[in-house]
Amino acid sequence: MLSGVARDILIAFLFLAVFATLPFVLDGRYYTGQIVTIFFYAVVASQWNLVFGVAGIFSLAQMALFAFGAYATAMLGFYLDWSVWAAMPLAGLTTVLVSILIGLACLRLTGAYVALLTLSIAQVVYFLIVTDTDCFVMEGVRCRQFTGGAVGFSQFGDLGTRKAFRGDWLTANYFIVLALLIVSMLFTYVIVKSPMGLAFRALRDNPGYAISRGIGRFKYQLLVFGLSAFFTGIAGGLWASHFRAIGPNLLSLSLMLFVLATMVVGGVGRFWGPLVGAILLVGADEVMREFGEYRTLGLGLILAVFVVAMPQGIVGLLKAGAACLRRRLKETAG
Amino acid sequence: MDVLPYILVTAVTVGAMYSLATLGLSLVWGAMGMLNMAHGTMLTLGGYAAYSAVTTLGLPWYFGFVAAILLGALVGAILYYGLVRFMLRNPAFETNIIIATVGIAIALENLVLKIYGGQPLGQPVSLHGTLRLGVVPVQTQNILIVVMSVTIMVLVAWTLKTSRVGRAIRATAQNREAAQLMGVPIRKVYLKVLAISGALAGVSGVLLSSLTQLSPPLGNDPMLKAFIMCVVAGLGNLPGSVLAAFVLALVEACTQFYLGARWGFPVLLILVILALIWRPYGVFGRTQVTRL
Repeated sequence: MLSGVARDILIAFLFLAVFATLPFVLDGRYYTGQIVTIFFYAVVASQWNLVFGVAGIFSLAQMALFAFGAYATAMLGFYLDWSVWAAMPLAGLTTVLVSILIGLACLRLTGAYVALLTLSIAQVVYFLIVTDTDCFVMEGVRCRQFTGGAVGFSQFGDLGTRKAFRGDWLTANYFIVLALLIVSMLFTYVIVKSPMGLAFRALRDNPGYAISRGIGRFKYQLLVFGLSAFFTGIAGGLWASHFRAIGPNLLSLSLMLFVLATMVVGGVGRFWGPLVGAILLVGADEVMREFGEYRTLGLGLILAVFVVAMPQGIVGLLKAGAACLRRRLKETAG
Repeated sequence: MDVLPYILVTAVTVGAMYSLATLGLSLVWGAMGMLNMAHGTMLTLGGYAAYSAVTTLGLPWYFGFVAAILLGALVGAILYYGLVRFMLRNPAFETNIIIATVGIAIALENLVLKIYGGQPLGQPVSLHGTLRLGVVPVQTQNILIVVMSVTIMVLVAWTLKTSRVGRAIRATAQNREAAQLMGVPIRKVYLKVLAISGALAGVSGVLLSSLTQLSPPLGNDPMLKAFIMCVVAGLGNLPGSVLAAFVLALVEACTQFYLGARWGFPVLLILVILALIWRPYGVFGRTQVTRL
């Protein structure tokens, strides 16, 4: 029987082998582009999973952090002519600061209170950006708001792959985003397996016992807020650089729900959950595209059905199935 | 011109609507520990039900309220039978019900969009004309909103205080296990609480849309505000949340008048966060002794 770590390494290599060959096998840019979005959702969901699944804090501000990273990168490029490569790390670091600030404001509370406050913060930021009408700079006759207003930003630079690889730029971007996915999942893995990860899980499973064993709840929860924000912010920056345009829809409720559903469908608190969920949901979205108008309706129902019927998600179900199979085998052997 | 009376009229009207919305939310949270994220969509559905009853079926305006109450209660009951019933034994009920109701909310909102379209519609259930209160002209619709809200709140308070159902609801809110052991059928209580809160949401939806316009995301913003009012009062505290609704509506009206409409919600949120840092379980909330 494989140990946990060996099994995870095996799964990682399987995924890697598939992802490394896909862009050369698939014809047409459309599907390569869709897989890039799978990677983005998986990165954000894996960091969100650290907060919600591992540490048990139901924060709804993760997409706001993602949007912050994207806006920071775009605005550094737009106003100060920074290259996106220089802007992204700074965006990641400032996102950590923002996340800690949100944590300071919300983490004295627990449970549903945290969910409500973080959701309100995200909605207020969205609202303030959309209603921004004060001119910051003039572009010819057009007025540009500091936050980009309802339109957002474009033309702030890109990854440089269009110049360097010409026709193959999408494949180059694909591997850059894949690299971010690998790094962020490694980061998550190390945290979950470290003593810190144990502390997070202890606070989730039995806060009373964990606190009485000397684990500071506020301190550790603030820590997980900060840690999970770095790659979320960088993913935002990379999203902006890949699509070369961003807007306030990054903060929309439907996008937040999509990423939340990614986590729930894959399996909350499971290491492979976000990636599996992202693959399944982008796939389901592809299928529902045929029915066009009912996509959002379908997404909402999927979310509700999974929470009711499969709170452990697909990965949890597979694990339970594997355990059941193993028992059966043992019984027949013995 | 003195603006204070106008701000006050706005604050009282909006406060009455918020308190009606917070009442439904608080009732459900207090009795079942359930945060119903679909409450905002129930508001929207109530508004559209009134619209259909009056415009399509041609009923007189007050039947709009009847339609909204019926549909709201029905949606509440469906929510219980279709969703909540299966989740009560779920160990992570508190967070999972949030996720599930968010899913239902976005699905229902999408359904409304499909049926009625995205363009804003005018709410036919509204009174025209103005009355003069002292020196201030007040729209009849504002008076209707305040009178209806206060009547409904008194009715709900009276029901909770005196009736058999009300006693069962209060008992369940105080201590679920003890109530169950005393023979309170808590599942029936949950069903009734969700239906009542749905009916309340329906009425607030009609009142809300009479001030603005009907659109599919109508209820989302007010719901979020109602939520943070409940939070600042201490979730589940009914009188506290009504008071918080009026105070925060006054703050919002002042902010919107002096700083501009877009700063109303942000200022509200900052105040709430400061209040919660000062008292984490809400201004009127009792310090909770949770068994771990």
